[in-house]
Amino acid sequence: MEEQATSTTPAANVASLNEISTPRRDLLADAWYRLTKNKGAVAGMIVIALFILVAIFADKISPHNPLQLNSGFDYLPPFWVKENAAGHAGNPNFIFGTDTLGRDVLSRTLYGARVSMVVGIFPTAIILLVGTFIGLYSGYKGGWIDNLLMRFTDVVYAFPDLLFFIIVMISLRDTVIGKMLNGLFLLFLALAIVNWVGVARIVRGQVLSLREKEFVEAARAIGASNRRIMFKHILPNSLGPIIITAATTVPGMIITEAILGYLGLGLRPSTNPQDFFLTSWGALLLDGQTAINTQPWALLFPAICVSLVVLAFTFLGDGLRDALDPRLQGTQ
Amino acid sequence: MRSKLLVIVSLLMVASMVLGACAKAPAAPSQTLRVNLGTYPDTLDPQKSSFVNEIAHLKMIYEGLTRLDANLETVAGAAEKWSYNADATVLTFTLRANLKYSDGSLLNAKRFEYSILRNIDPTTAGEYASITDDIAGATEWRSADLATATPEQLAILKSNVQVKATDGGGVACTGYDQKDCNTLVIGLKQPAPYFHTVMSLWVTYPAKQELIEQGGESWYTDPALQLGNGPMVLSTLEPTVSAMFTPNANYWRGTAKVNIEFRYITDSAVSFQAYKNGEFDVIPLGAEDFATAQNDATLASQILNYPGSCTFALMFHQLKEPFTDQKVREAFAYALDRSAWVTDILKGLGNPTLTWIPKGFPGYDAQETRWGFDPAAAKQAIADSSYGSVDKLPPITLTFSDTPRNRTRYEWLAAKYKEVLGVDMALNPVESTTYTALTKDINTAPQVYILGWCADYPDPQNWLSVYWKTGAFGERIGYTNPTLDAKLAEADSSTDPTARMALYAQAQTMLTDTAPVAFFWNNMNTYLVQSYVKGITQTPMDSGWPGDIDPLTITIEK
Amino acid sequence: MTGYLAKRLLWLIPVIFIVAGLTFILMHNAPGGPWDRDLNARQVDPTAQKLLNEYYGLNKPLVNQFTSYLIGGTNTTTHKWVCGLICGNMGPSYRIRGMSVQQYLFKPPTNRNFFYSKFGYSIRLAFLALGIAILVGLPMGVISALKQNTWIDYINLFVATVGISVPNFVIAIFLIIIFASTLHWVSIVPTSWDELNVWILPGLVLGFGVLARTARLSRATMLEVMRMDYVRTARAKGLTERVVVVRHMIQNAMIPVVTFLGPALAGLITGSFIIETMFGFPGMGRAYVTAISQRDYSMIMGTTLIYAVLVAIANLSVDFVYVLLDPRIKLTE
Repeated sequence: MEEQATSTTPAANVASLNEISTPRRDLLADAWYRLTKNKGAVAGMIVIALFILVAIFADKISPHNPLQLNSGFDYLPPFWVKENAAGHAGNPNFIFGTDTLGRDVLSRTLYGARVSMVVGIFPTAIILLVGTFIGLYSGYKGGWIDNLLMRFTDVVYAFPDLLFFIIVMISLRDTVIGKMLNGLFLLFLALAIVNWVGVARIVRGQVLSLREKEFVEAARAIGASNRRIMFKHILPNSLGPIIITAATTVPGMIITEAILGYLGLGLRPSTNPQDFFLTSWGALLLDGQTAINTQPWALLFPAICVSLVVLAFTFLGDGLRDALDPRLQGTQ
Repeated sequence: MRSKLLVIVSLLMVASMVLGACAKAPAAPSQTLRVNLGTYPDTLDPQKSSFVNEIAHLKMIYEGLTRLDANLETVAGAAEKWSYNADATVLTFTLRANLKYSDGSLLNAKRFEYSILRNIDPTTAGEYASITDDIAGATEWRSADLATATPEQLAILKSNVQVKATDGGGVACTGYDQKDCNTLVIGLKQPAPYFHTVMSLWVTYPAKQELIEQGGESWYTDPALQLGNGPMVLSTLEPTVSAMFTPNANYWRGTAKVNIEFRYITDSAVSFQAYKNGEFDVIPLGAEDFATAQNDATLASQILNYPGSCTFALMFHQLKEPFTDQKVREAFAYALDRSAWVTDILKGLGNPTLTWIPKGFPGYDAQETRWGFDPAAAKQAIADSSYGSVDKLPPITLTFSDTPRNRTRYEWLAAKYKEVLGVDMALNPVESTTYTALTKDINTAPQVYILGWCADYPDPQNWLSVYWKTGAFGERIGYTNPTLDAKLAEADSSTDPTARMALYAQAQTMLTDTAPVAFFWNNMNTYLVQSYVKGITQTPMDSGWPGDIDPLTITIEK
Repeated sequence: MTGYLAKRLLWLIPVIFIVAGLTFILMHNAPGGPWDRDLNARQVDPTAQKLLNEYYGLNKPLVNQFTSYLIGGTNTTTHKWVCGLICGNMGPSYRIRGMSVQQYLFKPPTNRNFFYSKFGYSIRLAFLALGIAILVGLPMGVISALKQNTWIDYINLFVATVGISVPNFVIAIFLIIIFASTLHWVSIVPTSWDELNVWILPGLVLGFGVLARTARLSRATMLEVMRMDYVRTARAKGLTERVVVVRHMIQNAMIPVVTFLGPALAGLITGSFIIETMFGFPGMGRAYVTAISQRDYSMIMGTTLIYAVLVAIANLSVDFVYVLLDPRIKLTE
């Protein structure tokens, strides 16, 4: 650790060389420029933006009240289907058909975007922040800190998620935290606590290999501080796997929410159409799975939505990785 | 490096499948009925079982002193005949001559004495042990404190239990090989003229003492030790994969014509696909697939849909506001559109009901019409209540065990109450075991929830006395009624069958008087059975598949 | 190296102790107990419940229960001293009457070897699933990266998206409809798990998610590595493309993939619940999931500890694979 600050002159020289060779531009502005040049990433951003708009304005664009029961109109297929397995014909009133209670699938899917977008994005953000920081620190520092942190991740990893969810949900459900956002806040917290470990380990693995690489040695040789090496050299180079993990974590969260719903630990069902969070894609997927022989459509639409979100995040992730790649900095 | 890794991976894959391939297949039977039973049982020990899927296996292997026939009448089983003394406090069974286990060994009354005592034995700690509490001395032995009781004290308690195997002359039997040991005398602590029906239950099934001791606590997993006297013999048992039953040639009623194989696929969509592929002969059919099956010309003719053995009710907690007020309970019962529930939610797999004992069971009351669906009466009842109007009611929360299926059900229920009564009910889904724990205690039991009761045995005593007497299950929602208790006590001890049924009928009417719950629906047993399967005898009491009451009549004609 | 290994194995002991302690506290805090059964039937009556509690020691203070589990204790009913976890006794299951957890999970049927126990079946299926995931997912990712933005890349993207965003119970039913109901290549409900072909569908369903993630992750790291200076150098040296790809690119791209696959294997071994409900597979996944809702305390402890050990071993192996892949990584401390 003594080598930092001893030789400032070569570092300054290197920096000035850098300035001569390419005009210095802000890393983020540069990345944004390259991101907007990437068609896939732009498409991804548009899709995500679209879903966010749908989520916000679900009450304005839904053709029906998603809680409205239509007795006798249950298990209708989409309007273009002449006859489904139950012998029902499509009805132009219900474009995507109806569920087991005769509720409009399209409206429910639109409303489902609310919970699913929020559940997909917020816990993922927490997971990435915590996981990246701990993985980075642990991998870079090594020694007993690494050992302790990794044993700690062993404990978190080995812990049965399900049991943890059950206990947390049951014991905190009726507290202030449990009631925030119709129970969603607690869900975020629980999801984040259980899932940050995976990110931490991936980042650590990356760091272990990167810290021995030539450019890190070089940075160290010119006296860069540890913080600088971690955040300016190692972190940008490990972004690839982190972004991929993020892109896969988002749908993971959406599906986990569904499975938790299955266990009675998800969102509280709502009976009031004025509520913001009414249903989720996960819940719709589960509804669809139980009725797959009669009404495969009920499964199809939420599945397509989840897939679209995943694709969008994948493309955006790829674009982000390219945009943030330090080796491409300054190029166009 | 990479290629080495690939080789290792491939080797592991092959090894993973081939490892330990030393299969030995059982002799292939000519015709086998393949039944998807659903969940694999936790135990197959007759004295420790309590679940439907466990009982389904035991019913194949064993037979009690009595058994139920197709009309749910109690008829002779291993016992040829039985008789009560004048006040129905002593029940005497006479076993059939030449009764045998499936291996041909002797089955005498001593065996039944052993299994009934084993069910009561506190060291067995059977989960259904309380069902034989009517036997004199049973409760005392069962509730002995094992931590402090000496072996001598326990022996005395055991000898006080009034179950005695004797020979024809009344002399106590000495052993399992005594041929003339054909009488079993059971002393009851109070008159119990229904008790011969209790003796048809699985807890009395005569598993052999020496085999249980030989196999230790997990003896029941070994087919060789599951030696029984029932219509079938357990030939192989591969946990969670399959159970194969072959006919018992020594069964007194005759020999079954097919083998029976149980499989355990719990996912209903997969089970349905497998049935359509001809991989199963009998599967349970869920509400979701019912419409599809009905719409299919072939499948429609293969549906078996008949009443089951459970009644479900909307339970009101009598000690929690606003259900302390009978008028409010009446209003909620009036506002319950049971037929719409059956059509919309159960897709026809149920029957609306306004009474406790289901249709098809002795004691069913076809005349009961009180508190049926009537929106106007519901509104009027609220107006007549101490609250006066809907908006003066305290907040009402509907609690349920959270599954996807239940979510839609309760969303429907809340929406309907909003529509009919204009009342806003909050929904509170809880994890299933938490829910069970909540409903078991009068203090934690929810304000309003749905609960059911499924018959142990077809007698009104099991429906009314076991559930609604003070101190029984009904007390969990704060229901106690001394008049009803007295009526039930009188009925339970009445030895005249006609008078007894009349008393139960009065008791059931009395129960409905105060609308403690809103009777809701009876379940249906719904199965798909391939058209080449003939001779299925269906009853409301079927455990897990149709026809288990009498496998002898089943044939496969293809 | 041996010192490192010994040290890591020693670390297992405190990890297991902490996991056991936390699990114990949490599970006893969950409402309800092992005797809370199916609602619509007769519940275990108070007398029987008291007997059962005594027999299983549930009436003792929690601290005593915990020490009995770990070290051993005297049974109230039988008055005998029973050794605990340190002797390899994972306690009696509360729901599978008369069976201990280790018997239930590790004991094969008579005349069969260890691989026919529930754990054995799960291990075999997990390795098959992992094998499928690696053999298919890795080449998919590598080829995608090499042929970035071609139709191969897009097909792979599609498969990976499906694998990630569609829950495996849905994938399973679709595969069943395609391969069993339509093509009749396999039967849905295997008559025997001794035949090889019946393993393919369950293996694929179980491994699909891992396959998809492997493909995406290896593609991402490959793209990363392709831009590295040493790859440019290797090309400049005039090495053949094959050598550049295999020796320099794939090997370096493997690190995050291996990091992911280690714990994924532990997940595959214990995560066969869906396969068991759909194909009737005799693995240990059901025990893992149902134990929690059944409040089968010793089964919860047992399955959790098995998972903890598996994860620890997987992570340990991962660290050794790092060394194999990149000689510059040192395993010290």
